[in-house]
Amino acid sequence: MRAYIYELGRTVLYPFHATDPRTFDLGGFFVKKYAGRLIIIAACVFLAVYELLPTWRDYQLRQDLGKLAGDDSLSYVTRHETELRDARARRIKLGLDLQGGMRVVLEVNVLKLIEDLAKNKDDTFNQIMKEVHAEARTSEESPVLLLRRKFEARGIRMSRYYRNLRDSNDDIYKFLDDESTKAIDRGMEIVRNRVDQYGVSEPSIQKLGGSRIIVELPGVTHETEVRQLLQGTALLEFKLLKEPDVTYRVAESIDKLLAASAKTDTALADSLFAGTASADSSKSDSTKADTQKISTPEGELSAEEFSRKHPFFSIVIFSQQFPGEGLVSEDNKEKVRRLLDREDVQKLIPNDMEFLWSAKSRILGEKGQEKKFFTLYPVKKTAELTGGVIVNAKWQIDPSYNKPIVTMEMNSEGSREWARITGANINKRIAIVLDNSVFSAPNVLTKITGGHSEIEGMESETEAKLLEIVLKAGALPAPVDIIEQRSVGPSLGEDSIRAGITSSLVAIALTVLFMAVYYRTGGLVADFALMFTVVFLLAILAAFAGTLTMPGIAGIILTLGVAVDANVLIYERIREETAGGKTPRAAIDAGYSKAFTAIFDSNLTTLLTGIILYQFGTGPVQGFALTLMIGIVVSLFSAIIITRVVFDMMVDRSGVAVNFG
Amino acid sequence: MRFLGKTSIDFMGKRHLWYAVSATVIGLGMISLVVKGVNYGIDFLGGTEIVVRFADNVDVGDIRSAMDKNGFTKAEIKTFGSERDILIRTPEQEEGTVVGDRIRAALQAQFPKNPFIVQKEDKIGPKIGAELRRDAIYAVLASLVAILLYLGFRFKFLWAAGAVAALFHDVLLTLGLVSIFDGVIPHLNLEFNQTMVAAFLTLVGLSNNDTVVIFDRIRENQKLFRNMDLPTLINKSVNEVLSRTIITSGTVFVVLAVLLFFGGEVTRGFAFASLVGIVTGTYSSIYIASALVVEVVVRTRTQGKLID
Repeated sequence: MRAYIYELGRTVLYPFHATDPRTFDLGGFFVKKYAGRLIIIAACVFLAVYELLPTWRDYQLRQDLGKLAGDDSLSYVTRHETELRDARARRIKLGLDLQGGMRVVLEVNVLKLIEDLAKNKDDTFNQIMKEVHAEARTSEESPVLLLRRKFEARGIRMSRYYRNLRDSNDDIYKFLDDESTKAIDRGMEIVRNRVDQYGVSEPSIQKLGGSRIIVELPGVTHETEVRQLLQGTALLEFKLLKEPDVTYRVAESIDKLLAASAKTDTALADSLFAGTASADSSKSDSTKADTQKISTPEGELSAEEFSRKHPFFSIVIFSQQFPGEGLVSEDNKEKVRRLLDREDVQKLIPNDMEFLWSAKSRILGEKGQEKKFFTLYPVKKTAELTGGVIVNAKWQIDPSYNKPIVTMEMNSEGSREWARITGANINKRIAIVLDNSVFSAPNVLTKITGGHSEIEGMESETEAKLLEIVLKAGALPAPVDIIEQRSVGPSLGEDSIRAGITSSLVAIALTVLFMAVYYRTGGLVADFALMFTVVFLLAILAAFAGTLTMPGIAGIILTLGVAVDANVLIYERIREETAGGKTPRAAIDAGYSKAFTAIFDSNLTTLLTGIILYQFGTGPVQGFALTLMIGIVVSLFSAIIITRVVFDMMVDRSGVAVNFG
Repeated sequence: MRFLGKTSIDFMGKRHLWYAVSATVIGLGMISLVVKGVNYGIDFLGGTEIVVRFADNVDVGDIRSAMDKNGFTKAEIKTFGSERDILIRTPEQEEGTVVGDRIRAALQAQFPKNPFIVQKEDKIGPKIGAELRRDAIYAVLASLVAILLYLGFRFKFLWAAGAVAALFHDVLLTLGLVSIFDGVIPHLNLEFNQTMVAAFLTLVGLSNNDTVVIFDRIRENQKLFRNMDLPTLINKSVNEVLSRTIITSGTVFVVLAVLLFFGGEVTRGFAFASLVGIVTGTYSSIYIASALVVEVVVRTRTQGKLID
């Protein structure tokens, strides 16, 4: 019998008979009739487990973390940083209604923008604006279009208030439309920058349509704070970079202090040195050499020794390639931020100095070992100038060098100041700071009079575009309004999760029990398939990064009820066919084939409903539609394919009827 | 195990009695819809809704006076699951989230010794509210069109019409009961929000599911018993699938009941509407969808074939 195992892969089907020895081997499992289906099922189970492991791991890690407090939990996070991150990235995502958090929809106030852009405003203009305001409240059309219609209805040229007198209404319409598009990009950038600084884990910031921004902040509960964060006016400042030697002296004293404190303070030592070995192995040799050249006159040191002697310099790299600024790899950013916030460290930083982070990271390191680095800029605390003086900013390609540049214009008051500042700081760097993040820190080449500056040295067009957006944020704020805000406190989220789990378990238990009692063996097989349904459903949700919401859990529970429908249809049919005198095998065959159309038809309409709901619903309701759709497809697979294989094997093996109750 | 043996209930014979039952329940529902209306949720109304949990039980009347004092006279106040969870909803619209802040300040002033935490806060601007209403209507229309197309494609006109009539019956009946029962039973808030729309679409899908299974059997029997008259044939078919109908509807009913009792506040309205929907969906497959075809067939003395 065993010899036939090797024929698994062959497509030849032997004429089947229950007593034919050729169809059996190893207790009936590897019968070639089922091989294909069994392999598919096994592969599905394997994939499902693979997809669900991160969710399980994430749960475990967080359970462990929950037991620790304070410094212990901090060092636990440091030790398991990558593992935590990986598990979190691939786990089943919970909607804001389950994990708590805030969802805010911001809309760029185009009306205010139009008003800000207008010149020579008079009563007529104000009257027109008033009407546009009233109309915009209910209209779906863009305020710019409404404005244009009002002007045209009165026969007034738009150029009376915008741009040059010679411009046609078309030109101005295009200009205003363009400006409102730019305003949303600016708003996005401002919001993203602030959210990044606020330090929310897994924030989501998306543009929706022409003028909306959706911000989702899981776990955030300080509503008032966040609202101010999102709505406040952006602050653009120019801040002078500190001299490199001053910076080195400060950094050196921080380094010494940390090295000394780490000897007595175990929590600090833990957070500093945990995972050093792994961090260092990934660090490129050249950067390591760089750091040693700059800061260790005592000669070559091993990575381990170096990090013990110089805890600060081993994570903040001061390289000669980038004088006067520190480089911090992405994974160390939080650590450095925490170190700099320490009271004893703060005391070492001079009163007029502060460290600011770059808004964006850059990729450095040798080929194959590139890593993302953030820059730490030491700047003078008091700003030289604020961005209100900027009149305009524009990026373009410099025709003579074919490189992107950004030009910036200031008003007369700003120009006077700017001339004084640049004149006094030639060959020094001035950081362009938006809401405390540094977007660029160009070198001053000459004294700039007349307020017309050019910034060059951008690596890409994207960078130049970003700088234009940032500079304009100083000139023309992007006024945003909160038009929708939903927040769920963590305790309600927990209540919902608990209620969801309880009701899922009770629903499963009742369904499973009922099926087993009512259909006996058949019912147990259906229960077995039901377990697969649940596992597959969750796995698919994880694989496609779907979000699980409370209505989504309701969808799963509903799926449990509906999933057995296919089996009920089949079993009732089998009972009928058996009552009609068919053999067990024939009854099963007939049951499956005759019930199929009904099963297919009835699930199709529910699937259609799911698709439509997904299309029109938002957030939680989409979560419901998602689990409903996945549930239907998966339950059909389990109910038709998995149960069938089991019955086929049972009938073949024993040759007697399966008990359908 | 078997709940039912081979049954031979004369379903069609009693159909007129059931028309009266349906008409009465729907009629009462319509009266309630006109008199009491449905309780629109924040999604569709717009405004601010805030759910707070106090440390100790509070009196709704005290909250009402706190709201009145601060000018929120239109505020709706009710308990949300327990005596210390309070839901406050007001249609007031202001810039940003000023309304929520003012409500919180008012509660703090009224109950200085009973601190609360905010469980949930929703602010829906007028534009968003209008959009959500529009999307909900689109969703209902789209699913209606999809199901009509599907049924029209699947069955002959008369039968498809019967199925559609059954769907309308289910939606109207459930809507009526949602209106009647809202606020009547403690802790059962039947707010008409996005989740409720989802429940209605789901019940349409499930009800249709049941109708299709019965029609499927009628079609099969029409091939086998070519000369049987339609009421008898329908009776026979319904009796044949009765066991399945009861068991599937039963399992769905049980899981939805579990959701209703254990699922928490958020999905309670959904569970209620679906629960009503599963019962009326099962019933309407027999007494609306099939029965209407019988009415037409009996009157026109046609054969009433399900498919050509």
